[in-house]
Amino acid sequence: MIALYVVAAIAVFAAIRAIIEKNTGRKLPYANVLNFAVAGALVLLLDHPLSLVAAAAYFVGSTLESNAIASTYAGGVKR
Amino acid sequence: MLGEILHILAAAIISWILFVTVDIFFKLPETGGVSGASAIARDIEAGGGALAGGTMMGNIVCSPDASAGTLLAACGVYVAGIPGGLAAALMVFIGNRICHDPGYAGTTGAVLATFVVYAFTLVGFAATDFIAGMVIAILTIQGLSHTHASRLLARLWRVRQ
Repeated sequence: MIALYVVAAIAVFAAIRAIIEKNTGRKLPYANVLNFAVAGALVLLLDHPLSLVAAAAYFVGSTLESNAIASTYAGGVKR
Repeated sequence: MLGEILHILAAAIISWILFVTVDIFFKLPETGGVSGASAIARDIEAGGGALAGGTMMGNIVCSPDASAGTLLAACGVYVAGIPGGLAAALMVFIGNRICHDPGYAGTTGAVLATFVVYAFTLVGFAATDFIAGMVIAILTIQGLSHTHASRLLARLWRVRQ
């Protein structure tokens, strides 16, 4: 039970840091912490075997989004 | 209650050592796997951090690495024991390929973490301690001070070299 509260508190903290940070490059690591915390909270909240698949799908999806935002920020594909 | 808090803190330290060791072994601080990782590294360096540490932090953001492997392996062990952890490793492997990451840090980290977490569940720890512990461990790297975290990672990277 404490594990869930710890993870939820870190999610809120990371979200606030991500909102406050203005620089996109430094904002993404905070969003990364938020993704970790949400993926962990999913498994702790949902008492079901498929919660692992939900957490992995959420995590990989959000990581791919961060990857896309960072690569676009870096200048995107050079043609 | 106090026991659970101590277990979570111990799990955070174990997870931290595990994922930093695997990531540095797989040379994550060396180059950005995608252009976005290098851009994050440049911004962290511009903020007063170290480039090698920033590159590793950028790589962690852009693709599931050993830290993600440890988190999902702990989730897998919590849900279904060792088979669950190995299923998580498979999903991290697929995630790496989706994110254009040619490396195996995430998959290796997930397999190692599966056995580490399972071993600790035999001596009184709960897998949930490692889920919360890994979130605390990633907070110390990505969420507190990018300047200090990147300098620490760069120092460890110099030891590896």
